[in-house]
Amino acid sequence: MPNTHRNKLLPCLIVFLGALGVLGGSTSAANNIDLSTVPDRDTVQLTIYNSEDLTLVRETRKVVFREGNNPLQFSWAGTLIDPTSVQLRFLSHADKLDVLDTTFPHDRPQELTWNVGSEHAGEATIEISYFTSGVTWSADYVVIADADESSAAVEGHVTVHNRSGEDYDDAQVRLVVGTINLVEQIAELARQQGKSFEQLRENEVQTLRPRAARMMLGRAEAASDLAPSAPAPKQIVKQGLSEYFIFTIEGTEDIPNQMRKRLPSFAADAVPLRVQYRYRPRQYGDRLARLYLMTNDAASDLGTSPLPDGQARVFRRKSADAPGLSFLARQSIRYIPVGEDFELDLGTDPDVGFELITKRIYRENVWLRLRGANVFRRVGQPGVAIDDRSTVAGWDQHAVIVRRVRNDTPRKIDVEIRQAVPGDATFISRLDATRFDNQTVVYGGTLEPGQRYDAMYEIVTRQGRNAKQSRVEIVAGDPGPRK
Amino acid sequence: MKPSAILVAVLLALLTLPPAPAEARIKLITLPVRERVEVQLDHPDFTLVEEERVVPLVAGVNQVDFSWANTQIDPSTIIFRLVEDDDDPAEVNVLSVTYPPNENALVWQVASDRSASARVRISYLLGGLTKDFNYRAVAEHDESALTLSQYVRVRNFAGEAYADTEIFAGLGATFLKPIGVNQTKQMLVQRLADVPVTKTYTADLHRFGWLDAAQYKLRVPMHYRIDNTAENGLGNEALPAGKVRIFQRDAPGSDATTAFLGEDLADHTPVGNHADLFLGVAQDIVVKRTVEARKDDRVAGNLFHRRVTLKYEIENFKDTPVTLNLAEQIEPLRQELGLASNQPAEWALGDATTFPAGPLADETDQTVVTHSIDLPARSGDEAETVTVFLELVFRNQWN
Repeated sequence: MPNTHRNKLLPCLIVFLGALGVLGGSTSAANNIDLSTVPDRDTVQLTIYNSEDLTLVRETRKVVFREGNNPLQFSWAGTLIDPTSVQLRFLSHADKLDVLDTTFPHDRPQELTWNVGSEHAGEATIEISYFTSGVTWSADYVVIADADESSAAVEGHVTVHNRSGEDYDDAQVRLVVGTINLVEQIAELARQQGKSFEQLRENEVQTLRPRAARMMLGRAEAASDLAPSAPAPKQIVKQGLSEYFIFTIEGTEDIPNQMRKRLPSFAADAVPLRVQYRYRPRQYGDRLARLYLMTNDAASDLGTSPLPDGQARVFRRKSADAPGLSFLARQSIRYIPVGEDFELDLGTDPDVGFELITKRIYRENVWLRLRGANVFRRVGQPGVAIDDRSTVAGWDQHAVIVRRVRNDTPRKIDVEIRQAVPGDATFISRLDATRFDNQTVVYGGTLEPGQRYDAMYEIVTRQGRNAKQSRVEIVAGDPGPRK
Repeated sequence: MKPSAILVAVLLALLTLPPAPAEARIKLITLPVRERVEVQLDHPDFTLVEEERVVPLVAGVNQVDFSWANTQIDPSTIIFRLVEDDDDPAEVNVLSVTYPPNENALVWQVASDRSASARVRISYLLGGLTKDFNYRAVAEHDESALTLSQYVRVRNFAGEAYADTEIFAGLGATFLKPIGVNQTKQMLVQRLADVPVTKTYTADLHRFGWLDAAQYKLRVPMHYRIDNTAENGLGNEALPAGKVRIFQRDAPGSDATTAFLGEDLADHTPVGNHADLFLGVAQDIVVKRTVEARKDDRVAGNLFHRRVTLKYEIENFKDTPVTLNLAEQIEPLRQELGLASNQPAEWALGDATTFPAGPLADETDQTVVTHSIDLPARSGDEAETVTVFLELVFRNQWN
């Protein structure tokens, strides 16, 4: 029900026309008969700052002042407005208007009265700003890969959800992307209080956060108001500011209370993509994951802004000449800066087999410790007798292993296997293996359709007293016993 | 027929900018019907439904309302796409989507540059519409080949009836069938005749157990082995997991009837692999397994080579020769004999092994050793006892 105007009057500005408030004594028992006007909002702007459940609302209203004292009552019953954040600013005749005092009535917690002293008689524009919680936004993406999986159409959307208790009609909506680090702003506010950031207690930091956020957000320049010239999807203007981005939705939107509204953010028709199968248990679990790899850059028809956190739903066209889709996966993607690669994990592919077969295990280079002495003997050394009470103290364990990959897809596939080889180890194979880090080996290659490939290797792990270090060494050689 | 639980409506009273208040008392809506429905069952866990509707749009902004009741549509997956089937299609764009609170509905604000009908495709994931596969295998009388029929069974508990629907099970052809609410529909995907089959007999204590533990007699299950390869007339795609009902022709020739042998759950069988279908336990092949010898050879200190010799006495009471596979699972065998240690087994075959050939390469690795042995047919009332020994040496072991 988009344009519903309910009678809740939230938040509401009232200008008193009687003598009420002239002396600031608005609670006087003698003033039971009031007359007031209710100036409407002219404009409203929402800046939604998700990571703090904080939205900065700026609204302007036209108010007719008379010379002298002018009481203005502002109330926000039933909303989630932070009462400490409500501020009044004069956008016109600011030199002739001044807030003389602000009264918070003890019996009406969601209300305040400004007593405005005016040297101006006539209309003036005021801005009321405040923080509210309950307005959030989220991003989501629809990715439709072509049938041959060489490119994909990527659409980004943003959804604004208003649970703040207030209807915001004709609102300019701005979305803050990323988590803003407010430490500098909080430190600046602390300095104004004669403290350093380190001296602040946790509750003081939390108290200063909204003000710091406001300070940060206040430095953002308002995006220009673009009136839509024709019914076309609204542009979302992406604007970098310091360490974060502000997305400004073109024109204005009605965002009624309890409503979710989803708007297109961007669309790229042919983002190049690469398919890779990866075994990285630390990252994807113990499985061969099928991935779409893309880049958030201009060459990919993207790259105008970071991609905010959001759900991606991934489909593939079943054929080039029909509109039918296959559903592939749904996953969360994390914030992707401009220029960064990103990936979509499609899960395992039933048409690509992946097995680990331990062919055999054997031990060599076994050392025994002589009983009661710090003396070690290697088994099998000619002419060396070993006491029966000696115990095994060190050995090399050899494991001959096959990684079997089977490609039953109709396409070539690119496979990368990154596996941990813990301990003091040697990785022996004829594979073109490289070291990813101290304990991790990487190898892979391309499999033709129908190809079955057995990647065979041997891992020698020195154990007990034989272990001297913690690293894997890669050696070119044939796996299997050498004798 | 039960009215559709999924509804697309275009509000005609509220068509031009700015949208009129939704409380308008007088409304006219059109209800574009489904022109085409596709159900994609190719994902193992999710069902994608795509429906095409022709939606009348006027120039300007239109509200297209999509609502559903008593169905398990995942609203976060609903996609609205224009299908261009016209040389000069209208310029149609989705401006926004609103989700009315507490309703299973959404409203697309759709802009069109002129009044025209637009063919749109609405896609969504739907719960309660599922599929599984099952098979019927009819073996020839001589058990050399079988006819394999593959069926897909679609169950519609999604709360929505779909008239003629293109159903794709993930393999084979697409079916055009109606599928009503709470209906289950079974469809033949493919029938493959003359698929070569091998009947196997396997004894493996730690997989199949004893037939009679007191007499040291092993269970000998029988399987039909089907290789999913092109040479066998298969091999185009994986055979999905499913229940297999197995029958055998009771006589040679086309007028034979079939006898039910049993049923088994077949695993997913990729191309190049084989499926083993359990037929039951052979009663005519008796395998007695005993431990013939146990010995430790000290290498040095507390380091030993531990030896065990297993003896198999095998009788084939069938009147045909058969091939028996004998397998031992290495770690369970170590447990059985009290030879487990903290180190993985380093095992080798000992010299006392008397199988006529070495282990089967495809069925032997670090964890299992498998041999095969040919057993002669019974002659008269007597079955020949074939005795073989398997010596395993667990090398370089300490406790």
